[in-house]
Amino acid sequence: MSRVKTPNAILVLRGELKLDDYIVDIAWSTDTMRLAVAGGEGKVFLVKRSESALGAREIGQHGMGTLAVAWRPGSSAFASSGQDSRITLFDAEGALVAQQRPSMNWTTALAWSPDGRRLATATGKQISLWASSLVVEHTFAPLASTVTALGWDKPGRDLAAAMNGGLVVHRVEPPRFQLRHYKWSAPCLTAAFSPSSRFLATGTQDGTVHFWYLSTGRDSQMRGYPGRVDGMSWSGDSRYLATAAHEQIVLWDFGDKGPEGSRPLQLRGHTDRIECLAFQPGGNYLVTGGRDWRLSLWLPGKTTTALDAQLTAAEPTCLRWSPDGRFVAAGERNGRLSIYELVRIF
Amino acid sequence: MTTMDRVPVTVLTGFLESGKVTLLNRVLSENHSKRIAVIENEFGEVGVVHQLVIVAEEEIVETNNGRICCTGRSDLLRILEQLLKRRDKFDYIIETTRMADSSPVAQTFFLDDNFKQQFLLDATVTLVDARYIEKHFDKMTEAGEQVAFVDVIRLNKTDPVGEAELERVARQVRAINGTARIFRTQNANVSIDCVLDVGASDLQRTLAVDGSFLGPQYPLEWAGVYQLAVGQHTLRTGAEAQAHHHHEHGPGCSHDHSYEHKRGDNHDDHGDARDKSLGFVVLTVAAATQQTLAAAIEPPVRAFAGEAVTVARGGSLKVAPAQQPIDVNHKGNHFVVDVAAVGTYANFCEHAPAEFNLRTEGAKPIVQRAFTSHPHDEEISSIDISDLRSLETQKRNDWLSNLLKSRGTDIFRMKGVISLEGEARRCVFHGVHMILDGQLEQLWAAGATWRNTLVFIGRNLDREKLEAGLHSCLA
Repeated sequence: MSRVKTPNAILVLRGELKLDDYIVDIAWSTDTMRLAVAGGEGKVFLVKRSESALGAREIGQHGMGTLAVAWRPGSSAFASSGQDSRITLFDAEGALVAQQRPSMNWTTALAWSPDGRRLATATGKQISLWASSLVVEHTFAPLASTVTALGWDKPGRDLAAAMNGGLVVHRVEPPRFQLRHYKWSAPCLTAAFSPSSRFLATGTQDGTVHFWYLSTGRDSQMRGYPGRVDGMSWSGDSRYLATAAHEQIVLWDFGDKGPEGSRPLQLRGHTDRIECLAFQPGGNYLVTGGRDWRLSLWLPGKTTTALDAQLTAAEPTCLRWSPDGRFVAAGERNGRLSIYELVRIF
Repeated sequence: MTTMDRVPVTVLTGFLESGKVTLLNRVLSENHSKRIAVIENEFGEVGVVHQLVIVAEEEIVETNNGRICCTGRSDLLRILEQLLKRRDKFDYIIETTRMADSSPVAQTFFLDDNFKQQFLLDATVTLVDARYIEKHFDKMTEAGEQVAFVDVIRLNKTDPVGEAELERVARQVRAINGTARIFRTQNANVSIDCVLDVGASDLQRTLAVDGSFLGPQYPLEWAGVYQLAVGQHTLRTGAEAQAHHHHEHGPGCSHDHSYEHKRGDNHDDHGDARDKSLGFVVLTVAAATQQTLAAAIEPPVRAFAGEAVTVARGGSLKVAPAQQPIDVNHKGNHFVVDVAAVGTYANFCEHAPAEFNLRTEGAKPIVQRAFTSHPHDEEISSIDISDLRSLETQKRNDWLSNLLKSRGTDIFRMKGVISLEGEARRCVFHGVHMILDGQLEQLWAAGATWRNTLVFIGRNLDREKLEAGLHSCLA
């Protein structure tokens, strides 16, 4: 008689501290020893991690609110942007290296290309590409409406932008920059390529998920969400697209023929609205944070119940895996930052 | 979450930018302990130094969720989300919009469950310039919609607008939007009470302030009492008598002299094409007083309900409780009234006489009164319906949901207070077009009558159908 072992893993708290601001965004350094944290009131923090402790220093300010932080892959530099429109580049010690101010509009999104060569930013209707020292490389013609999200594909060749009316993809092959529209008449809030680069997905204000098969351009829509879909994450093997519908996790299965006509995998465990979710990079563990002050760990496709759950001290606002998939940083509304390590039991 | 926990939001709208800015700066600089976040659509609107000011470029988006179409502002969505992150830093939000039609702003608050729970659209305030708005009411387009959507109207008087004209505009505004509170201002000077803590989303609160709009509507707009001698009296209409134009001034005069002259050339354009005749009744009354006039209203109201043959140009009018519509089609007409005995006589008119330059030769009204009239087709109007009996929740949901989906485009605003069977709390709801938000609020006050009251502001509204709909929801 053989016994199938249920995969089991837990989250182990490895450090926590309280920052003096609401946590909006978190970015890990490549070596996982540092984190940049964006504060909702405008502060930018650099957090250093050691074996036993976390230490933080306030290093910058974006008037009115910081909106995004992004660590440059393979490097010790990171960028922040905010409601003051400014884009700021810091070094590993938190010293200011360069700053740009594209306009008066908010710079809502930052995305480094996977090779770390260029930084894409979205300021109002305008997308810009910057070389690593914040020298402008290319400014795209303003789009029809404000950009809400940016996402690179894995090779770093295509940059997707979400806006009202669909997605726009810029193929970045300087000096050529080609544009392709993926039209969908709804306010689109996210833009995410699958790691396989086969699919491009978006979540919308009116409660749908829309995606395109990139090889053919064919598109498909998944309805039924009770409200806006503003968070999504692809599993490392591109099998699942995780989204949230209030307190339920809704996973669309992109294996085989694709999710059309199928029912999604629905995971239950949270007792209140899910605020943030993230798949492990290159892996299949999923973490979710909900208004029930719970952080849960899942392995979709293998189990239907949470593998582990941790209580937070306030509403979780942001979840970010380290690039090596080993740690999860969780930011909370009251400024608490906690680092968990994924520990496999068997 | 109760209303008390939600952040009240005031929206300032209107054609006049300067009016909004003056009001905004006044609210921010006044000495009060209220912490206010401001969302403006242009840099420099806020003149005073203020902590929490966000500038946004207005972007309209349409969403379609389950056949409910909603127009909202995506920039506002982003800003509100960010503001929620610093929820403990402010008590109020003021948003300014350039658009006359403020429904996208209002609907934005309903677009998201989270927003519905965290924000309360407290009031939409507009500044209306009396002179400007009257010109545009004739066309019943943007001006009418601007007025229809709002909760608070600051009716601004600037020279040379007279009191009488202001009165007329106020009446026209009220005919469109019965629920709006009207503040008279001069040079946009008004207290912050019309901006903060207005509570306009709660119909009961609006009624507590001024329930007079829930009064009766009449089939006529004007009545005046004259002292007439025995003999034939001539009524004139239209431009023909411009050369002999004399203005009827009296103690209760409701027009403004300058206004008359401005409109002198356009009499042919007055009213709609279908207003080829003007409903008219002439009666004897006991005295030339407001009380007598009010007491005499019933027979003409009944008479207006009846069918009648239009009296042609040059025709004669009887003193009798009967409808005698007069032909106002031509450039100028005259009619004759035979008066058998000296005394006081009242003319009851379907529309305001000034619209047709209607006057009685040789006589001026001693007293006169304007009435809130029934809405015409295609006009924007307010309709209120009520019932003392409780409603059944599911039936109410079905009725309102179907109503908004089918008539949502024409229904601009809806507000109501409802009593549901088995529920001791009041249900307060308000809607903008197809979007509806309802909340169970506090308990009905001890001793209060549990009463359903709904107000609809919109175009082509059918009172009978709305009442039938309400009755279909009775428990």
